[in-house]
Amino acid sequence: MSKYFERLSNGLFKENPIFILMLGMCPTLAVTTSATNAIGMGLSTTVVLLASNVIIAALRKFIPDKVRMPYYIVVVASMVTIVELLLKAYFPSINESLGIYIPLIVVNCIIFGRVEAYAAKNSVGLSLFDGIGMGLGFTMALVLIGSFRELLGAGTVFGLQVMPNSFEPISIFVQAPGAFLVVAMLTALQNKLKLPSATNGSGKKSALSCGGDCANCNEDTYTAYHEGDKNNEAKGKGE
Amino acid sequence: MSVLNWNILIAGKVLPQVSGLVLAVNVYDILLATLVVSAIGLLIGLFLGVASKKLEVPVDEKEAKVRELLPGANCGGCGYAGCDACAKAIAIGEAAADVCPVASSDVHVEIAEVMGSSVEASERQVAYVDCVGTCDKSKINSTYYGPKDCKLASGIGGNGSKACNYGCMGFGSCVKVCAFDAIHVVDGVAVVDKEKCTACGMCVAECPNNIIEMVPYKSKVFVACSSTDKGKDVKKVCSIGCIGCKLCEKACEYDAIHVNDNLAKIDYDKCTNCGACVKVCPVKVIQEQPA
Amino acid sequence: MNSQYFVNLLIIAISAAFINNVVLSQFLGICSFLGISNKIKTASGMGFAVIFVITLSSIICSLIYDFILLPMDLEYLKTIVFIIIIAALVQLVEMVIKKYSPALYDALGVYLPLITTNCAVLGVALINVENGFDIVESIVNGFATAAGFLVAIVVLAGIRERMEHNDITVSFRGFPITLVTATLMAMAFYGFAGLV
Repeated sequence: MSKYFERLSNGLFKENPIFILMLGMCPTLAVTTSATNAIGMGLSTTVVLLASNVIIAALRKFIPDKVRMPYYIVVVASMVTIVELLLKAYFPSINESLGIYIPLIVVNCIIFGRVEAYAAKNSVGLSLFDGIGMGLGFTMALVLIGSFRELLGAGTVFGLQVMPNSFEPISIFVQAPGAFLVVAMLTALQNKLKLPSATNGSGKKSALSCGGDCANCNEDTYTAYHEGDKNNEAKGKGE
Repeated sequence: MSVLNWNILIAGKVLPQVSGLVLAVNVYDILLATLVVSAIGLLIGLFLGVASKKLEVPVDEKEAKVRELLPGANCGGCGYAGCDACAKAIAIGEAAADVCPVASSDVHVEIAEVMGSSVEASERQVAYVDCVGTCDKSKINSTYYGPKDCKLASGIGGNGSKACNYGCMGFGSCVKVCAFDAIHVVDGVAVVDKEKCTACGMCVAECPNNIIEMVPYKSKVFVACSSTDKGKDVKKVCSIGCIGCKLCEKACEYDAIHVNDNLAKIDYDKCTNCGACVKVCPVKVIQEQPA
Repeated sequence: MNSQYFVNLLIIAISAAFINNVVLSQFLGICSFLGISNKIKTASGMGFAVIFVITLSSIICSLIYDFILLPMDLEYLKTIVFIIIIAALVQLVEMVIKKYSPALYDALGVYLPLITTNCAVLGVALINVENGFDIVESIVNGFATAAGFLVAIVVLAGIRERMEHNDITVSFRGFPITLVTATLMAMAFYGFAGLV
């Protein structure tokens, strides 16, 4: 049972598709104009992901290696069509606001990435939970970004007025440039906090107290650091 | 039911929980959809199959086999533009079977077999940066404002902001060319991760101060300095630079280390990693890596 | 064909290329936009490959939609059919280029498989359908969209090349500063809004 929970937490935190793997940027930038849109897109993608994962995991032993790409494409496209028709019928408002991004779930890198990396090689149960985990991680990230953009750009969250009336909405945030800006800030914040992600590297860390950012060291920082070091040098040669 | 009546009603009997729900399923539509998609898929499949035969590019079998054996990193260490070009060169005899520096020596032997030639098995090598003048050990003599690139900085005169004219500037041109993420700048000098290094040689070629050298993977003792200045000049600019005192040369039983031009150099054909020189070095510039 | 027709086509072209720029306004093709734009040479290679594929796929998809799917009331199958066609098209283009122009293949060949999952290709085909364009309008829309992609990606590559040796704060290096550049580019493209 813990294997399944591990899959869930993997998708939500350790390998979050947006914050860590940096996949699926197109829908992230496009549909996070409001938190409602974000949740709609996130849940649709989750449904497509887990349905595709399950089907491909169930049939993985019967598909020859040469035709696996077209096979994946057809399965995912069919799932997307089903979700699209369901949304058209039961949630027309979400369908309106998401527009062509629903059929574009087909080419969402997350889906093909998970299918190829996981569902093609693992059992149905594990693939199911992996799909749920990744999908929920995606949704969570989308909702976070969407709420932030909506809050600053329109003063509301999920359509409910949160900011005081005197707040002048910064409408750039709900438009195209704002999307790029918010994701840029988010990634920069991540880098600053040294969270592991696709853009950070791992390797030998600095042994110096200044952090070892020598390329950006200037006169002031160098003297400040070496001022303290003079005492150490007087005592004896360091290693 | 007449044959022309394609509509099938699934009533409350089949779905007792939702007895009010009636689903009208038109079988004709389902069949048509399946047929159209299958037909398109089949046509495309046939078309691509035929096209792949007609548009086939005759491929040299040897070239294909060699390409398969090559690591596929496209690092350029062989001097050709990627593994495809290298395979071509090997297949037409322009390049030797062991031209790829990244491939292991077993792979060289396999490539040679495909080509019908033979090669000697060679020892694994890795790169090593001959400088440990981190910013707490070596002095700076200027503040450098300019592009953070070693090759560009070397063209300006001086050695970046470092006082020592020979050492690593730490701007990371070598990091940029490494295709294997095996070299990084830590505390102002470049350091090679020998587990990731494939000895492709790109960093060696890139370094404008020429302080990166190839050493055997098994080696554990290194003289981490490239300065040929006299001892007292070295001490003015760096607390860990080699001063050419020759204590290491005297301590070595295997005649493996010699001081020329005020700089100690290890001959890796003779070095046994005994570590005697490490113990006697007064400035601790001879580095010993743990097992 | 009167002048009104050509004016209409011109309006479609300018909207597609600049006003609703595929990358900066519609967010299609972001992954390749941010990933391939390191150098101007590779970026322009990618741009031309995209123009080629999108124009061809616009033609074929819109033909299939108008003559097969619409008459049989099967519009809902468009996603599946379009993506199959696009995948097959990219395979075919790769084979043709490999056979008839090895030099071009060496330059562009690596990008072609990346274009299959590029949202822009499928996006353009779906937009053509959504706006009810006929064949000629679809071709113009497709070509102009891809031309807009080429302009955006080459401009970004130029800016990134210039920024390569700049002193950028550690946390902004790499991805974040590229996105900030894209922000400014998107704002700049707002200037085209009043054009039509």
